[in-house]
Amino acid sequence: MRFAVLTLIFWLPLFAQHEPKEDKPKHPFIGDPMAIEAGRKLFSGGCAACHGAEGQGGRGPNLRQRIFWHPVDDETLYKVIQKGVPGGGMPAAGLTEDQLWQVVAFVHSLTAPAIETIVPGDPAAGEALFWGKAGCGGCHAILGKGGKLGPDLTNAGATRSLPQLREDILDPDAGGAAGYRAVTVVLRQGTTLQGVARNRTNYSLQLQDANGNLHLLSTADILEMTLAKGSPMPKDYGARLSGTELGDIIAYLSRQSARPIEMKKK
Amino acid sequence: MMRNTLLLLALSLPGLAQVRYEDILRGPADNWLTYAGDYQGQRHSSLKQVTAANAGSLVPKWVYHIPKATGLRTNPIVYNGVMYVTNSNEVRALDARSGSLIWQYKDTRSKKEAVNRGAAILGDRVFFVTADVHLVALDRQTGAVIWQKKYGNVEDGLYASAAPLALKDQVLVGVAGGDTGMRGFIASFSASTGEELWRTYTIPAKGEPGSETWGELIEYGGGGTWLSGTYDPDLNLVYWTTGNPWPDFYAAARGGDNLYSSSLIALDATTGKMKWHFQFTPHDTHDWDAQSWPVLLDLPYRGRARKLVLHANRNGFLYVLDRVTGEYLNATRLVEKLDWASGIDAKGRPIPVAGKDPTPAGNRVCPSVRGATNWMSPSFDPDTGLFYVMTLEQCDIYTSSSMDPEPKKNFSGGGAGPKPAEIGQFLVRAYDPKTGDKKWEYPVVTPTAEAWSGTVSTAGGVVFFGDDQGQIVAVDSRTGEHLWHFATGEGLTASPITYSVDGKQYVAIASATAIFSFGLFEPAQRKPAPKIRIE
Repeated sequence: MRFAVLTLIFWLPLFAQHEPKEDKPKHPFIGDPMAIEAGRKLFSGGCAACHGAEGQGGRGPNLRQRIFWHPVDDETLYKVIQKGVPGGGMPAAGLTEDQLWQVVAFVHSLTAPAIETIVPGDPAAGEALFWGKAGCGGCHAILGKGGKLGPDLTNAGATRSLPQLREDILDPDAGGAAGYRAVTVVLRQGTTLQGVARNRTNYSLQLQDANGNLHLLSTADILEMTLAKGSPMPKDYGARLSGTELGDIIAYLSRQSARPIEMKKK
Repeated sequence: MMRNTLLLLALSLPGLAQVRYEDILRGPADNWLTYAGDYQGQRHSSLKQVTAANAGSLVPKWVYHIPKATGLRTNPIVYNGVMYVTNSNEVRALDARSGSLIWQYKDTRSKKEAVNRGAAILGDRVFFVTADVHLVALDRQTGAVIWQKKYGNVEDGLYASAAPLALKDQVLVGVAGGDTGMRGFIASFSASTGEELWRTYTIPAKGEPGSETWGELIEYGGGGTWLSGTYDPDLNLVYWTTGNPWPDFYAAARGGDNLYSSSLIALDATTGKMKWHFQFTPHDTHDWDAQSWPVLLDLPYRGRARKLVLHANRNGFLYVLDRVTGEYLNATRLVEKLDWASGIDAKGRPIPVAGKDPTPAGNRVCPSVRGATNWMSPSFDPDTGLFYVMTLEQCDIYTSSSMDPEPKKNFSGGGAGPKPAEIGQFLVRAYDPKTGDKKWEYPVVTPTAEAWSGTVSTAGGVVFFGDDQGQIVAVDSRTGEHLWHFATGEGLTASPITYSVDGKQYVAIASATAIFSFGLFEPAQRKPAPKIRIE
């Protein structure tokens, strides 16, 4: 065996660099706005009765948060919709191949980055709200502009799904606020620091203040630590914003990506 | 009240300090601010808490595993107690005292995955390249994106892996992909805005000077720029090495020297204009990229003070050039297993031995395709006056293929590798750059010859390096005597660095999947825990 491996090494070309890997191609309907919209209609007519109109769950599982269902690839999803779940209450769909892929594209879009989906709402109005009345820019930044206490939103559309963006605004601590829990510490030498806990262990705390400055602390140097269960983000945006305003801000965030959007070829 | 407290803190904190160009010029002490620690590529630290007398008391202080990492190439950057490490399409900021993650940035939309050699730092930003050839500027404290620029196309056979080089208000980057056909270049961007300032190709376009040294494959000639460069602030020259000509092992369609492949080029940092070039391996047929560090030294040389550049090349020779003009001064053998050239002539051109090109049946040539050394970093210690370099004594069987070269199809014109019974030997060697004389060597048991780990030297009189069995090793910089070692348990494909936080010196290295940081043993102290209230 060892000889075989060595022989293989002997004959393989040795390059200066390792070759990078490429993603496998996706079905052309995935991320295609027209296919997603067609899938939404098919979903409404059949699947919504159990999974909810927007995939929020009901008799059937919530399809918007992958922690509630086993994350599968698109091909597996296709087969499940096509054949149903034997003994599990989900019937076979009885759709054509294209229709099946349209439903897959819609379900995929529920957890796909928001930038890949159609978003209702006015991004320009959302932008004005973000930097104005809603006050988001006081703590959040986009491409270097804005505050530093909250998560950077430059890639909000590229990394968060639409349902996630909505939840981020209305219930910001639902995800546990990991890395952004509000913290105040009094050091043994008397200084008080306030900010968010980017990380902490029993022995160290990485605190970031409102100006973005890092304070790397040993817990041995801390006299008192007051840790919130959530982030400093206001919890009342559901009341502060109208439905339209919320939709507009989500539309604006859904367009945010550090790299330009590469539209699929038709 | 809270607002006032925050404002007061903001005014009094060192965290607001910017990483100034002048800070990088001073060279490594507490911080490690470039890939090689300084602009000269000397990879030597003024830290001396760890000495030849106490290095035996080094212990691991922390280990940080990078999820999904394989074969990390990252060279850590350290500033004010924060360490920045990279992997494919991502940067992580770690607390350099504890190893705790502070933030991470992952570009989830990159079209490629590839190795990444590290970040650069300047001002309030860290910079890194994505595998699919984007340069990204991040806020060094929060990880927020400031700007991102695409500077090449994967469709053109390019990818990116090198640590950027930051100087003044510029960030310089290179590209990889030379083993499958592409056209190499170095580009400079404004650190502030991301605007492209200049771009210099390493392979001339058809009709340009130097194009007469190529055949029909010039458009895909290679000349990758996949390692970072060094910089002389007085001359305002950047020194960058270039990779192999393509196809690597089959040269029938590229008669001539194939400029400026397998070369060292000196560029004006402001304009990108090439001031001089020196080609180590004209018409390379052994995949001997010139990617090892051009180390800048100011030394008395043959009776007068000179600005030199020292280069241990993959082709087996250790070169000394005048870095003002590119004039060839000297070359000596870096390894004993060297049979493709009988020497270097008075102008710096190799004197080839006939019959040493790759053949369809296979031709044994020394040194190996991995080279007498490679991109694993060497060091220069001004106190000892010695140059420390990891060398590999190995010969390979080089084969060639006369298939029609097709660019971007993973075709390199052949291949090379050792006979199973002829796996070579790594040795760390200390040379006097003034004479090329070897002062000591430290042989490393070499089961696979697959390590890519270099050295760091320190004012404490210790040289650290990684070996072929995943061990980080400390030796006496004057004698090469073993002082300490530690087995990381996996392969090493990156070089060590050293830094200091709160007056304590650390030595860090990336293993295949993790970052290890070591320091002198201290007994644990019992300290009261803080009172914690959760509201």
